[in-house]
Amino acid sequence: MFLKKATLPLLIVFGMGLLAFAQEFVPHPLSGDFREEMTTWFRIIGGFAMFIGAYSLLHLHVTRIRRQMAGWGYSVFVFLGAAAMIVVGLWNDGVGPLADAEEGKTWFDWGYYFIQVPCSATIFSILAFFMASAAFRTFRAKNLAAALLLIAAVIVMLGLVPVSETVSKALFGDRQVFARAKDILMDYPNLAAKRGILLGISLGAISQSLRILFGIERSYLGGGD
Amino acid sequence: MDAPRADMRKLNLTRWVIYLLVGAVVVLFCALPLEQEFEASKDVKAVFNRVDALEPGAHVLLAFDYDPASEAELKPMSRVLLLHCFQKKLIPIVMTHWSNGLTMDKGIIDNAAAEAAKEFGRPFQSGRDYVFLGFRPAGSNLILNMGENLKSAFDKDFYGQPTRAMPALQGVNSLKDIDLAVDFAAGATPQMWIAYGSDRFGFPLGVGTTAVQAPDMIPFVQSNQLVGYLGGLRGAADYEALLAQSYPKAKAYATRGMVAQSATHVLLILLIVGANIRLIVGRLNRKQKGRSHG
Repeated sequence: MFLKKATLPLLIVFGMGLLAFAQEFVPHPLSGDFREEMTTWFRIIGGFAMFIGAYSLLHLHVTRIRRQMAGWGYSVFVFLGAAAMIVVGLWNDGVGPLADAEEGKTWFDWGYYFIQVPCSATIFSILAFFMASAAFRTFRAKNLAAALLLIAAVIVMLGLVPVSETVSKALFGDRQVFARAKDILMDYPNLAAKRGILLGISLGAISQSLRILFGIERSYLGGGD
Repeated sequence: MDAPRADMRKLNLTRWVIYLLVGAVVVLFCALPLEQEFEASKDVKAVFNRVDALEPGAHVLLAFDYDPASEAELKPMSRVLLLHCFQKKLIPIVMTHWSNGLTMDKGIIDNAAAEAAKEFGRPFQSGRDYVFLGFRPAGSNLILNMGENLKSAFDKDFYGQPTRAMPALQGVNSLKDIDLAVDFAAGATPQMWIAYGSDRFGFPLGVGTTAVQAPDMIPFVQSNQLVGYLGGLRGAADYEALLAQSYPKAKAYATRGMVAQSATHVLLILLIVGANIRLIVGRLNRKQKGRSHG
């Protein structure tokens, strides 16, 4: 029973991980075939993950409705929206009962272009308002570090938009002064910080992979460490 | 009224004033028929020059890895890259890792093909002049699979046509046969394309991202893992300006958006400067009061 519950999956993970690692160093056609076969299997498993995602989403909203948690009414719309798009998507290949098939305009397209696209774009656009408000409240020169951050932010903001070229020409007689200052900030201090973060993330990912490979990290099995 | 409630009310009022100002500036400057001149950045020029230097018939893989939420920034660059490919008689191969963007991607390709047919005087046909492979799941594993065998990873295109004998895919068996790839990304797909695609299979890669992601691309440009990148609406406007030298109608959505973006940035800078002046004046007043009390 124990072998079935924990050891067997761990052995499979270790074996497959080792093979996936080893095939990188074996320049034999068999190794290439193994890699192709493996990536195909990964894609099949990836397809199932989408079903799990959909199930998880629907399960979450069923729970919210059943327990009448705060805002449960919005969860009803998740089901209404999903059901409507599934029905019009499947009905006669998405053409729907009344749509003009010759024009290529289907009910599914209508729902996508006139509901999903504007709603998604609106939510993303709201970011501009939040960022403006947050910048106004946080960019205060309260000390030297905050003042440096403020100056850097203003230079980058100016350097990114075309109006800086007009301002730069008027002030310095050269259109690219702000753009060059922005490039210096982005290519040196920003790059140094980004590279440090990237290296940290990569080392973390390698150590996490090794922990999974050697069975130290087991939370993915569902039982915690 | 107690102090915390008064502070909260003041904060809410300030927030609403800022929201209204930003909204008014964006609407006003989008409506005004203004245009600004600007010079394209070196990173956008690098991508443009790579596409421009390709021979007719070369294959350019375009990954539309975004959904409608990022349409405002990434659709203009997708359109202008497609137009550049059509103008140069290159063969764009479009695919996506984001199932949510599939219908939008089809619309972008159809519109670009129709615009190119009208402007360049010849029809552009799916399977012959371009390919739309559509969506497949599995992210990085899909890229690995495409690197081994592109036609097994996508055995049919979006329209259900088999890829094996498709004229547009003649000579393309895997990612190794791609002349250039450009990933338009709203998520972490550029890192995926670099690690599992270009580094492994050796094709040149460019990227188009939302503005907030653009700084993340700089380390990869410096290490030559990326040819260059288009960052946000400005990146798209730069590309439109470069293509407009040979095709003036390329200047469209992104170029028009530059005036509103400039105005909003100036408004933000003015707000920040104003807030800091208020802070400094407040400090000076408190100091003066302290001295007079002392």
